[in-house]
Amino acid sequence: MIARRRGKGYAPVVVTIELYGVPRMRAGRDEVAVEAGCLGDALAALGRECPVLAPSVVDGHHLHPCYVVAINGIQFTADAEHPLRDGDAIVLLAADAGG
Amino acid sequence: MRGGFFGEYLRVDLGSGEAIRVALDPAIARRFVGGVGLGAWLLHQETPRGFDPLGAEAAVIFAFGPLLGTPLTTSAKYALVAKSPLTGRIGDALSSSRFAVMAKRMGVDAIVLTGCAARPSVLLLDEDGASLEAAGDLWGHGLPVSGAAEVLATRFPRYAFALIGSAGEHLVRYAGVTNEGRHAGRGGLGAVLGAKRLKAIGVRGDRRVPLADAAKTIALSKALAKRSLGPATEKYRELGTVGNLAAFNRLAALPTRNFQESTFEGAADVSGEILHATRRKGRGSCVNCTIGCEHFFEVAPGEAPVKAEYENVFALGPLCGIRDPEVVLRASRSCDELGLDTISSGGTIAFAMECAERGLFDGTVFEADARGLRFGDGARLLALLDDIAFRRGALGDLLAEGSRSAAARLGPPAPDFAPHVKGLEIPGYEPRALQSMALGFSVGSRGADHNRSGAYEADFSGKVDRFNVSADSARSAIATEDRAAVLDSLILCKFLRGTLVDFFGESAEMLAAVTGFDCDAGELRRAAERIVVLKRLFNEREGWTAAEDTLPERFFTQSLTKGSADGAVISRAGLARSIAAYYEARGLRADGTVPAETLSANQLDSL
Repeated sequence: MIARRRGKGYAPVVVTIELYGVPRMRAGRDEVAVEAGCLGDALAALGRECPVLAPSVVDGHHLHPCYVVAINGIQFTADAEHPLRDGDAIVLLAADAGG
Repeated sequence: MRGGFFGEYLRVDLGSGEAIRVALDPAIARRFVGGVGLGAWLLHQETPRGFDPLGAEAAVIFAFGPLLGTPLTTSAKYALVAKSPLTGRIGDALSSSRFAVMAKRMGVDAIVLTGCAARPSVLLLDEDGASLEAAGDLWGHGLPVSGAAEVLATRFPRYAFALIGSAGEHLVRYAGVTNEGRHAGRGGLGAVLGAKRLKAIGVRGDRRVPLADAAKTIALSKALAKRSLGPATEKYRELGTVGNLAAFNRLAALPTRNFQESTFEGAADVSGEILHATRRKGRGSCVNCTIGCEHFFEVAPGEAPVKAEYENVFALGPLCGIRDPEVVLRASRSCDELGLDTISSGGTIAFAMECAERGLFDGTVFEADARGLRFGDGARLLALLDDIAFRRGALGDLLAEGSRSAAARLGPPAPDFAPHVKGLEIPGYEPRALQSMALGFSVGSRGADHNRSGAYEADFSGKVDRFNVSADSARSAIATEDRAAVLDSLILCKFLRGTLVDFFGESAEMLAAVTGFDCDAGELRRAAERIVVLKRLFNEREGWTAAEDTLPERFFTQSLTKGSADGAVISRAGLARSIAAYYEARGLRADGTVPAETLSANQLDSL
């Protein structure tokens, strides 16, 4: 279910943040489950859960410009207000895909 | 010219051994910047229309950028430019480090090699001239590249060398050129040297590169070095490009089993994260580079570690259905030691694996060699690399020609799934899942190429629909082509691009400080456009038609079936529209050729 707007926020749902590359190495974890209503809340929760990622990867409710997220591996967005659905996977990876 | 250039290039006739210094018009140097731009211009000048890339009249050009020899980080690079024997179109490849610095410090802005040596040779160049030495036992004995480099360093200790491996000697059409463990890999330029019977070129120079404004150059160098250690390059420093693999797999953009799929069930086994966790052995960098993107991994206990990057792991791993990291690292080392381009090697072998599984070798002269070949067979992958490099057996000889040529020999339906554009095998960005990149691949002057077009950036940005190619894709393709043209001509490493906020303005500031040119962002933007058009013009001269600006049939007719790319396929009409938009924005005719007004606007009338 999509999180319902509650005042200025959204009702929290359970989502998974998948970590790739440097964030994974730094956090020592592949993924982190958080409760959040929107992307910004999820990122803030990630920062609290993995302080080693703040502020180089997440800074409060925002993502560092060197990183991007793709909701369920499909929709790239940096919009902190992006509403989340229960069970969403937030794929977090480096913005620079040069190989 | 007050700095950055010496105002001369060296032309060496390998037939006579004669070397002459040729004046370089300052206006030409400024117009084409250096590196790839200068090399492409020299290629136009030094070759006749329709020449054989493996013939004596072929020219191969080592071109240096104005920033080479300055303290600017990542500037120790050279461009190798020639007509590719793999594509028949322009081939330009970059490599780095001490060879580049020593070569320019002979007091030249480029080295042009023409003719053909009478016997296998080593060319030695310094400020006093040129000498051709017999290659002797360096040629024809199957020495690994690292072994040959050691022999050269012992025999000629005052020189820095670039050399070819056995693949170049045997004219494998995707043989590379190596210096100090780094490779000008793409397009088969090692075969061009092999055809000239040139095993190695040694350079020795100690002239200081003049700086127009030394204080400003040093200040800019310090600032750039500091920024190069910031967050924009963290991925390259901490993990290297191998970090792409797991993420691309999650995004269903990882080419797998010859582009039959875009997710690989064994991706976790060969991901950058697992390689670092289990096999990391050290890190390195080119001369005068503060980033240090090179990461070395253990193959097996007691063996020398191997440098691995995303492209070689993708091409020799998932593309061939191989998930054993030891096999992938061994294959990577084999390519380095044989002098083979890893992307084309993996692409061509993956193509052969699919042909074998589909029975396309049955009843042919290749049947015996191909019997039992299948995806995931690491032993056969390793054996085939040797067979290709030495053109051993019917299959090795066939695959040494590249996937396009092999497909043409086998006949339908093989050309539909031969993984190339213009003959150059496709790197590790699945076109159906990254459709701006699909356009970038299609229109690329050297073929399918992630280093001359970075249109994948748009696909990964959310600003375009990555599953549908569009007119926006044309803008992305052009913007990243232009940026690459400048970086490849200055020359600076592309891994710096994220550190430059005002790319053209900051690049112009560096160029002005080094050369004394009163240049600005606008001049560099125009130079980028000019260089891109120049390369297309060379291709047009050599027989290119718009029919080459496309992708293999597979991408239009076979949908992906897994992950977030499930159902993705490229619309033929959509790609055609985006190519038309690209041509129009580039000032090209509807058939992609260069009209007189675009030549004139780019100061290319003389060509």
